[in-house]
Amino acid sequence: MAMKRRTVLKAGAALAAATMAPAIVRAETKQWRVAASLPMTGPFATAGQLVAPAFAEFEQQVNDSGGIGGRPIKVEVEDSGYIPRNALANFQRAMAGGDLHFYFGDSTGFMELVGPTLEGDNAVMMGSTSFASSLANPAERPYQFMAGPTYEDQFEILLKDIADKGGKTVAFVYSDTEFGRDPIEHGRKVAADLGIEVVLEEVTKAEGADIENHVTKLAQANPEYTILQGYVTGVWPQLIGGARAFGLQTQFMGTFWGMEKVIADRVTDQAGPFLDGYQGVMPYRYFYDQEDAPFYQQLGAYKKSINPDFPGYVVTWELEGRLNLELWKLCMNRVIEADKPVTPDNLMAELRAIDNWDSGGFFGQPVDVVDHKIGQGRVYRYSADSKLFTPVSDWIQV
Amino acid sequence: MITGHYKTRYTADEGIWSTWPKQAGLVAALVALAVLPLIANNYVLLLAGQIAIFIIAVVGLNVLVGYTGLMSLGHGAFFAIGAYTTVAVHHEFPNTFPLITLLISIAVAAAFGVLFGLPSLRVKGLYLAVATLSANFIVLFLIRQEWLAEWTGGVSGTETPNAVLFGYELRSQRAQYYFIVPIMLIMLLFAQNLFRTRFGRALIAIRDKDYSAEILGISLYSHKLKSFAISAAYCGAAGCLWAYFFPAILPEDFGLNMSITLVVCLVAGGMGRTLGPVFGTVLILLVPEILKIVFANVTDGDANAQMLFSPMRDIAFGVLIIGFLIFEPMGLVSIWDRFWRFVDRWPFSK
Repeated sequence: MAMKRRTVLKAGAALAAATMAPAIVRAETKQWRVAASLPMTGPFATAGQLVAPAFAEFEQQVNDSGGIGGRPIKVEVEDSGYIPRNALANFQRAMAGGDLHFYFGDSTGFMELVGPTLEGDNAVMMGSTSFASSLANPAERPYQFMAGPTYEDQFEILLKDIADKGGKTVAFVYSDTEFGRDPIEHGRKVAADLGIEVVLEEVTKAEGADIENHVTKLAQANPEYTILQGYVTGVWPQLIGGARAFGLQTQFMGTFWGMEKVIADRVTDQAGPFLDGYQGVMPYRYFYDQEDAPFYQQLGAYKKSINPDFPGYVVTWELEGRLNLELWKLCMNRVIEADKPVTPDNLMAELRAIDNWDSGGFFGQPVDVVDHKIGQGRVYRYSADSKLFTPVSDWIQV
Repeated sequence: MITGHYKTRYTADEGIWSTWPKQAGLVAALVALAVLPLIANNYVLLLAGQIAIFIIAVVGLNVLVGYTGLMSLGHGAFFAIGAYTTVAVHHEFPNTFPLITLLISIAVAAAFGVLFGLPSLRVKGLYLAVATLSANFIVLFLIRQEWLAEWTGGVSGTETPNAVLFGYELRSQRAQYYFIVPIMLIMLLFAQNLFRTRFGRALIAIRDKDYSAEILGISLYSHKLKSFAISAAYCGAAGCLWAYFFPAILPEDFGLNMSITLVVCLVAGGMGRTLGPVFGTVLILLVPEILKIVFANVTDGDANAQMLFSPMRDIAFGVLIIGFLIFEPMGLVSIWDRFWRFVDRWPFSK
C-alpha cells in the first residue's frame, strides 16, 4: 500500500504528541471523575442531605477555577440508603462508567465491604464519612483514608483532656453497634495509662434506648465524666436530658458525630438548655471560627454568592466531606505537578507524603497525614446561651 | 383449537419442559446465563450474583410459605446462619472444600429451621409469622456477642473467605458467578422435583387443608418440621454463597429487612410456583437499580438534584409495587403462564 505524504505527516504528529506530551495528558481521560455514595434516604438521610451540597459546590468551584491540571472534574453522587450492599453496587457502577479518580463512601460498613476488593483495576483512592479505627491501616487498606482522627484517637483526646483537668473517674456509654464499640477497648487502655478509673461501661440501643435505666446506672456509678460514643442525632441528647433531670452532675462528652451544632441547637430550642456545658472532641474548627481561616472565608463567600439566604454556618458533617475532596485535590495537583500518571498508587503516595499542611481553616494548625489519618482534635464546649461550641483545650495530637 | 398436549409415554408426562418452545426457552436461558459473564462488567455481575443467591433463599421460603402454607418472617436468620457457618468453618479449617462448607451450612441452617419451626406445631398464620420474627432477633443477638466474636466478628462483622476449587481461588466476580449460578440451577431443579414426590404433595395437602391431610394419614408434626428444615436449608445455602461472594459480612446485612425482602420477592413473583421466586427476585432487586440508573441519567449525578430525586425514587418503587400487586395479584408468574398459553395455542390464541 502506498503511503501519501499527508498520511505520514499525520502519523508523525500523532506519535510526537503521544511521546512528548506529559504522561498525564497521554494516559488520562478528558475529565477527572469523582463519585460518592451518600445516605440521602434511610436512617441517616439527615446527614446525607446535609453532606451532599459539599460535592456540588466542590465541582462548581473547581471547574470555575479551571479544573485540576487544566481538566474539569465531574462529580456524581448516588443514594445508598445507608445500606453497604447498595453503596457497593453504586461503586461498581461508577467503576464501570469509566476512569474513576476518587470515591467517597458513606459508612464503615461499606468501607469494610469494599476494602478487600480494592486491588488491580478495581483500585481507587477512597475517603468516607467513617472514622473507624480499622480503616487507618495502610498495610491492609492501602487505598482508603480518613480526613481526621479515628474514633480511638478521639477517645484518647478526650481522656487526655480529662487527665489534664485532674479527672479521676469516667463512664463509657456507647451504642451496641460497630460504631459504638470501636474505641472502647483502646479507651480502657488509655484510661488505665492515664490513671483514670472506668467506673461504668454501659451499652445502649442505637435508637430508642431505655433512658431511665441507663441514667439510673450512671447515678449509681457517679462518674466525674461520661463519654458518649456511637450516636448521631438520637439517644445522646435524651441521655443528657435524663441525667440532668435526675440531678446528675457528670460532665458529658461526645465524639465527632455527636458534636454537631445544628443538632445541639435544635435540642435546646425544643427541650431547653440542658446541653449547656456539654463537651466533646472535634477534629475541625467550627465554621464560625474564621479567624486566619482563608478557606472558610472563601467558602462562606461562595455560598453567599450562590444563596443570599446562606445562614453563615456549614455543618461539620459537610466540612468532613469537603475536606476529603480537598485532600484528593491536593494529591491530584501534586501528582500532576510531578508529571506522574494519575493512578491510585501515586495519589495515595502523595497523601502519605502530606506533612505540615496548612488547610486554610479546617485545622487550627498545620497537619500531617500519618497512617492514612490526621490524628488531632480539640475539645469544645457548648453554650446554650450563645449556641456555639467554643474551644476549651489546645489542639491535641495523638 | 389446542386445549392440551397429547402424550403417549409416561416419561413425556413426567417431563418438566413438556413442549419444544419451553425446551428452546430453557436452552436459550442457559446459554444466556453461561454467556453473561463474558460480556458483563463487574457491576452487572455483582447484581447477577446477588440475584442468584437471593433466588435460592426465596425458593427456600417458597417451600414453606408457598407450598406448605406456613408463614415466616424469620428467614433472614437462616441466611445469616449459613453465612456465619461458612466463616466459622473456614476459621477452624481454612482449606475446607467449598461444597463441603456448603453442605455444613445447609445442615446447620436446617437444624435451626427445625428449632424455630417448633411453634408451627401449635400456631399458624399471623401468629406463626410473629413467632418466627424472633428468629431474627435471637440469631442477630448471638452473632453480636463478644464471646462468639472469634467466629462471627461480633458487631464489627468479619471478612469472609474466598472459595478455592481445586487450587483455583475464586476472587473475581466472574469466577464466583460460575460457582454460584450452577448451584442455583441445581437447587431450583430440586425444588421443582420436590413437589412431584409423595412428600411434596403431602406438603401441598397440608397447605390446602391441614386437618384433611392429617385425616389422610399425613403427619403434620413431621412434615411441618421437615418443611421448615428444607426451607431453612435453602437459606443456609444462600448464606454460604453470600459469604463467598462478598468480601465481608455484617450482622446488619441479615436483619428483619432481609426477611421482609425475601417475603416481598416471593409475593411479587408468585407463591407456590418454582419460577415465582425467580421472577420476584429479579423484579425486586433489579427495579431499584434500574430506577437508580434512570434517575442518575436524568440528574447526571448532580448532588443537589439527587437530594431531591432520591426520596422520589423510593416513592416510585413503592408505587410500582402497589400497582403491580393490584394488577397482578398472583405474581409475575401469572404473566409467564399467560405467555406460554399464548404460545401453546398459537396461531389460534388471541
